[in-house]
Amino acid sequence: MIETISTQLRRLESGLLVALLSTMIGLAVYQVVARNLFDTGIFLGDALVRVLVLWVTMVGAMVASRNDEHIRMDLLTRFIGENKKPALKRTANAFTCGMLGLFSWHSYLFVLSEYEVQVLAFAQVPAWVCEAIMPIGAGIMCLRYFFHTIDPP
Amino acid sequence: MIWLGICLVVLAALAGAPLFAVLLAGAMLGFLAGDIPLAIVAVEVYRIVDTPLLVALPLFTYSGYMLAEAKTSQRLVDVVQSMVGGLPSGLAVVGFLACAVFTALTGASGVTIVALGALLLPALDQAGYDEKFSLGLVTTSGSLGLLLVPSVPLIIYGIVAQQLEVGEPFTIVDLFKAGVLPLLIMLAMLIGWTLWRHRGGGIPRIPFSRRKLWQAVKAARWELPLPIFILGGIYSGVFAISEAAAMTALYVTVVEVLLYREVSLREVPKVMIDSMVMVGGILLVLGMALAFTNFLIDAEVPQQLFDFTRAHIESTIGFLLLLNVMLLVLGAMLDIFSALVIIVPLLLPVAVGYGIHPVHLGIIFLANMQIGYFTPPIGMNLFIASYRFKKPLLEIYAACWPFMVVLLIALMLITYVPWFSMVFVR
Repeated sequence: MIETISTQLRRLESGLLVALLSTMIGLAVYQVVARNLFDTGIFLGDALVRVLVLWVTMVGAMVASRNDEHIRMDLLTRFIGENKKPALKRTANAFTCGMLGLFSWHSYLFVLSEYEVQVLAFAQVPAWVCEAIMPIGAGIMCLRYFFHTIDPP
Repeated sequence: MIWLGICLVVLAALAGAPLFAVLLAGAMLGFLAGDIPLAIVAVEVYRIVDTPLLVALPLFTYSGYMLAEAKTSQRLVDVVQSMVGGLPSGLAVVGFLACAVFTALTGASGVTIVALGALLLPALDQAGYDEKFSLGLVTTSGSLGLLLVPSVPLIIYGIVAQQLEVGEPFTIVDLFKAGVLPLLIMLAMLIGWTLWRHRGGGIPRIPFSRRKLWQAVKAARWELPLPIFILGGIYSGVFAISEAAAMTALYVTVVEVLLYREVSLREVPKVMIDSMVMVGGILLVLGMALAFTNFLIDAEVPQQLFDFTRAHIESTIGFLLLLNVMLLVLGAMLDIFSALVIIVPLLLPVAVGYGIHPVHLGIIFLANMQIGYFTPPIGMNLFIASYRFKKPLLEIYAACWPFMVVLLIALMLITYVPWFSMVFVR
């Protein structure tokens, strides 16, 4: 069951990343051409591209947490004996899981407050739609680090 | 209570928790202490959307991954070799130049050592250079080019520094202009030292051939416009950075997939995903750093840091010296993105207090980090080179140190003579 969901999620993330980046390239190039040649452009197309950056960030980070490939400082771990490494990894992963859980919850509260007052991001697009990727992404990463705590990759 | 929290965060960082989680914890702890609702962290991360410059990052990173996937490195070496290979120690010069360009395009993520090192090392060996020199060249040149457009760390420094709003305001293009002379100084000194080292004429010169030049240029005809396009477009002001990045991404895809056919259409999604995972990692750290920095500024940490430093060090020269030593150590320990997002917010206000221009500080910072990449015992490129070329670490250390001395002298020039960085800036 978890396996199936996890596989589907991986597919969704990968597909989403490709779609987001392709849209970003397409839209950004269109804006350049339209602006320089025809002196036009999609109204607020630039704002959309910038929201895409946030989405790429969150989805890319979700994929990076599949195998725990995030940037870390690695000061101590290099000098620690092999037998102590798994315990250290578990501690670090549990910490990460907890922080992501907190971030997910509090960003959910933020999105909720924006939903309630119907803030607009640009054109007719409500801001909460653009922001929703933060609690969702952090939530999924939190789950992944929960599993990494039980069984470090 | 708050100290307990701080200890916990430091311990987690030491235990190897991801940097974003450490910064997130630090930021939340700070806001908690100030009785500010934690939802503010999400507001801060959402500021990613208010930074137009950030659009350039995923686009340039993707382009870099695409070029690394194709045989661009081979064509780059061929072109440079056909042009300057005929000079004394020509191939070494080729190595320096090609590495600098390739690193600027792909970021100093180790790709240069892996891709160009594999080409250059056997070629240098064949041309008669001794192994120690060749190893040192490919290892130390893996981070050369950090100061050249469109290097991602340079852009990130600009973003982090600009949102701090201290010191004289500057544009990203100022930063790009400032990097030109310092990079040329490093190249000139490396080349000068190489010529002096091989002054006996032990390395046979390869005669210049018009035919070879033509062949190399013909082979690289689709990629050659790229640097002109990026550099010319940005420096002349025709393109904004993000516009240049968008055009580059599209152009590189068309060239590698349709014209060279070295990356199949099926492989494009994989390149996209790989590069965006890298971008996601970097930008998540940056987003959390935005929140963390805001807390630091509210708590007046940079101001206190400045007062403390000022009490002990009076002169700008003294401060710069301390800065160099500190950054060298940090550069070897931290990866470049961690260093940029954590250290710059603390350092910039202090440096500005000593009368250092933010643009000059950026160049000093990155030049230091560049050397940090191969500073023993734990500079990242040393490990990559050791792994890639299957040589023991000690051998790599021995090979790198003369290059390091040359670059350290260049670093002193760059640090103590601001003119080199600032001459083209307004």
